[in-house]
Amino acid sequence: MSLTGMVAALVADDGTADWPARVPARLESFLASLPRPARAGMRAAARALDAYAVARTGRTLAALSPGERESLLAGLGRRPGLVPLLDVLKVPVLLASGTEHMLERQGLPRVAAPPDPPLDCTPAHAWPARSTADAVVVGSGAGGAMAARTLARAGLRVVVVEEGRHHSTRSFAARPPLERFAELYRDGGATVALGDPPLLLPVGRAVGGTTVVNSGTCYRTPDHVRTRWSSEFGFVAADGLDEHLDDAEHTLRVASQPLDVLGDNGRLALDGSRRLGWRAAPLRRNAPGCKGSCQCVVGCPTGAKQSVQLSVLPAACAAGARILTEARVDRILVDADRPGGPRAAGVRVGRAGGGLEILAPLVVVAAGALHTPPLLRRSGLGRHPYLGRNLSVHPATSVAGRFAEPVTAWRGVLQSVGVEEHHHAGVLIEATATPPGMGSFVLPGLGRELRRELEGADRLATLGAMIADLPSGRVLGRGRPLLRYDLHPRDTGRLMHAVRSMGELLFAAGAEEVLTGIASRPRVRSLAELDTLLSGASARQLHLSAYHPTGTVAAGGDPQRSPADPLGRLRGVRGVLVADASVLPSCPEVNPQLSIMAAASAVARAHVER
Amino acid sequence: MSAPMGNGGASGALDGDAESADGTAAGVAPGTDVPGAARGTGFSETMLGTLRLDGDRRPRRVRLDLDVVADRVLRVLGTTAARATGRIRIEDWADDRGAEGELEISPLARRRIRYRIRFTAGGRRLLLDGWKSVTPLRPVASMTTLPYTLYEDGARMGTGTLRFPLTTQLVPFLSSFRFPRRARPGALLEPRWKGEAGRTEVWYTTVTDPRTGTGLWLHHELVAPADGSAPYAHGWVALFPADGPVRHARFGPGRWPGERTGFRSDAVTVRPGRLTGSAEDGALAWELTERPLDGPLFTFPRWSWRRPLLPAAQILPAARASYDGTVTVDGTTLSLSGAPGASARIYGHGNARRWAWLHADLGDGDVLEVVAAVSMRPGLRRLPPLVFLRLRRGGRTWPRRPERTAVGWAGAGRFRADVGLPGWSVTGRAGLRRIRVEVHQPAERTLALEYTDPDGSRATCRNSERADAHVLLERWWFGGWRTEAEWRLDGTAHAEVGTR
Repeated sequence: MSLTGMVAALVADDGTADWPARVPARLESFLASLPRPARAGMRAAARALDAYAVARTGRTLAALSPGERESLLAGLGRRPGLVPLLDVLKVPVLLASGTEHMLERQGLPRVAAPPDPPLDCTPAHAWPARSTADAVVVGSGAGGAMAARTLARAGLRVVVVEEGRHHSTRSFAARPPLERFAELYRDGGATVALGDPPLLLPVGRAVGGTTVVNSGTCYRTPDHVRTRWSSEFGFVAADGLDEHLDDAEHTLRVASQPLDVLGDNGRLALDGSRRLGWRAAPLRRNAPGCKGSCQCVVGCPTGAKQSVQLSVLPAACAAGARILTEARVDRILVDADRPGGPRAAGVRVGRAGGGLEILAPLVVVAAGALHTPPLLRRSGLGRHPYLGRNLSVHPATSVAGRFAEPVTAWRGVLQSVGVEEHHHAGVLIEATATPPGMGSFVLPGLGRELRRELEGADRLATLGAMIADLPSGRVLGRGRPLLRYDLHPRDTGRLMHAVRSMGELLFAAGAEEVLTGIASRPRVRSLAELDTLLSGASARQLHLSAYHPTGTVAAGGDPQRSPADPLGRLRGVRGVLVADASVLPSCPEVNPQLSIMAAASAVARAHVER
Repeated sequence: MSAPMGNGGASGALDGDAESADGTAAGVAPGTDVPGAARGTGFSETMLGTLRLDGDRRPRRVRLDLDVVADRVLRVLGTTAARATGRIRIEDWADDRGAEGELEISPLARRRIRYRIRFTAGGRRLLLDGWKSVTPLRPVASMTTLPYTLYEDGARMGTGTLRFPLTTQLVPFLSSFRFPRRARPGALLEPRWKGEAGRTEVWYTTVTDPRTGTGLWLHHELVAPADGSAPYAHGWVALFPADGPVRHARFGPGRWPGERTGFRSDAVTVRPGRLTGSAEDGALAWELTERPLDGPLFTFPRWSWRRPLLPAAQILPAARASYDGTVTVDGTTLSLSGAPGASARIYGHGNARRWAWLHADLGDGDVLEVVAAVSMRPGLRRLPPLVFLRLRRGGRTWPRRPERTAVGWAGAGRFRADVGLPGWSVTGRAGLRRIRVEVHQPAERTLALEYTDPDGSRATCRNSERADAHVLLERWWFGGWRTEAEWRLDGTAHAEVGTR
């Protein structure tokens, strides 16, 4: 298949090592998890490369010698217009290469996976076609889990409907990261927001939602954000958020990450900050007893990270909640002729051999900020003009620093240290390392250069920064969400500020050079060089990603601007609560898991106590 | 009783006052506060399918037969709640003829037809809960497929699917649809009079005590005189003992207090399910409860009660009723327990020129009601008596339409009455059946009383609640008449003949 030639060219397979030969097969299996357009795009690109090779040499890439491939690729790399496209091709290849390279060097680490707390999970095929409940919660992520627990503890018969599967800690420990990556992320992690510039927006899909694949960082909602939600937007549920944040922290056993397993990536960030006199500290995380496996983003293999399927959902199940897995909600059923106006009546779930329906007078929508608006639209509840708008995503970029000594960033805590020096300016830097190839940082170069970077990746330390953005995006569509996000000019400045700050921090920590992620100048060796580069660069040249979509069904007091009312109830229908990131009125400016959990808890509690 | 047809003909000729009264009564709230105007829905449905009990791999065949009743006409665009009774059969497990439950029928508004049926299987009380989920993409499949879950005490026991077999059941299903009028309890007892002058309204009850053979007649009457003077309420009670003379007493006239649920005048009341009162300073007193045993019986055409176009009309709120309680006569108390009888209502302009009436409880739930009357209206008074005969037998009423017996086919084939005393008779033929009713009112068991019309004219009625009757019903069968049923009532028929 043509992938072989493309992989051989990109990672300069010269036959000196075994692992590059295994990359095409690994890539094939990964591609299978991607959405069809992405898969077709990859194959088309591979064919185009082959066609180019045939046109130039009369032979396909696979038939060329390593040297011929190298010169062919170098010719392509010299065209500036092709560099971003080649970068897109590199991302999955790097994922597969990183995995094979890691397996070659260290094999699959054996970890002892503890048994998980019990959950009452039933896959859709074993669920009756007709059932009833007091409340249906759509989505089992941070918001859905908290809402389910609150409602179940109030004595309601709760069914949580989750599109993904249930994965146990043991299953995480038994498989290499990339296999889990493909399963745990929606569309294989290839969710893209179209716009200027486009950005990657991976979200989880499993029992536990994105909390299964996040980094475990738990920030409380900043006071000024809470005040704004409460006074500016009229999100009444935010008034007593402290109590709910305490509860969420207690449930997740949040604590500052101890230094013992922090890893060199985090230590370098701390060192650099100390030298600069910046405020920095190990992050507060929900991972007591973290062993530093650095695999948070593909499911913690040691069970240390208290994702909601290990903490909140077991409590919900203990209170009687049941979880329906592998079940995508087609629509919320609405009884249009109820006295007093339309009222939610349950949900319809699609499955092979006929859909299943669950009738319930209360439907809690917690499908995430990207999927809640399409769900409401296809249920006939998407008429509010601001539904799907107001999308904030925390745009993020990353920078790597090359050090003289090995850093081996993938040993230690994945997201370890928070640098809050520039948080007041909307920039939050977090030392984030990932298993090879899985980070948002794209190694520079093609062919041999890329191969050298791959093999020398153990000397790289990576930092990530996210910015507090203006709500510049919207979610379109009724079935699959179509994302549109255009970076606000103010936020472009914040991103540049973030890149410079990360460069400064890495140089202060002793980096020999900083990998900027900017194709025109991938490496700088001093802060002055970086400043020069950034003065002429734009955000389009950065590799942008985002992890925290919020605000698409914002709650608030203004019926014209807020699709949900101050208590998180969807306007225009009775019996629908919004209890996920979409209900947040604006971007929370920090990693949002605690904010989402507290808001969901507040919304559900307000319903119970009504 | 008071005669139902006076001051005019029964031919349907419009009278100026009647028209305006109708306009008032029907115009205020057509079909709502008019008794019997609202209709319900009834249909039968059969579904076949399977059930798979949890932990049992074998699917069992299921058959569900339901009779569904709703209190309103099925709302196509809205939601209709209905009750269901029927039978469920589950292979090797259950056969319950007492299955009952409710339906939520909402094919468009909620796109759901939900069934919640409770039944017993193996001594366990179970609930079948499922719904058809209607979708325009697959209208037929979604309207005929009922996935369900079976519960015991809220815990799931099994799941299954029932299907409506279109090929064999569609025609029976569609032809089973009925939209019967819905009787609001007590609605037919409410006064019809709205303040017009020249009206009379009657609530009367006749009972036979099966233990002693005593007949009881309670007559309550509201009269609004034609000269516009104040309305008054009066009436009488009469007892027809098996072994003594007829004893009767009048009460009133008294002020009409504007009662809304029935009749009331001083100490005498008629309310749904209850009759109380006394006359002659307590010499005669009664306290009875009434339990309807059948639906309403419209002796006159139903429209004539809803829209009083005829000079008068008579109906029975319940074709049969049973009475419990006491009647005290001069210090002697008669206790009634499950005594058969009926109450009737009359509303109109006054009494007929000549009339005969019979109420006969034929036993086994069958009942015969006959009114034959000659109009007071000039010209029409020369016609022979118009006969309204209603035989309710096995839950069905014959002839199907009351007009049939009165006017036949433009006069041809109408039922005929020979009104006289001590005997009178009615004969007639409708369809393949014919009937002969002979009534005998012995003088010693008959009470003569004088009626006064709203216009002040008087009539005399001769009433017996211990009359004899012979009813012969025959059916034509290949060249000859064969007796289909024959009843002889010995002292238990309630009859009256009125003259001027």
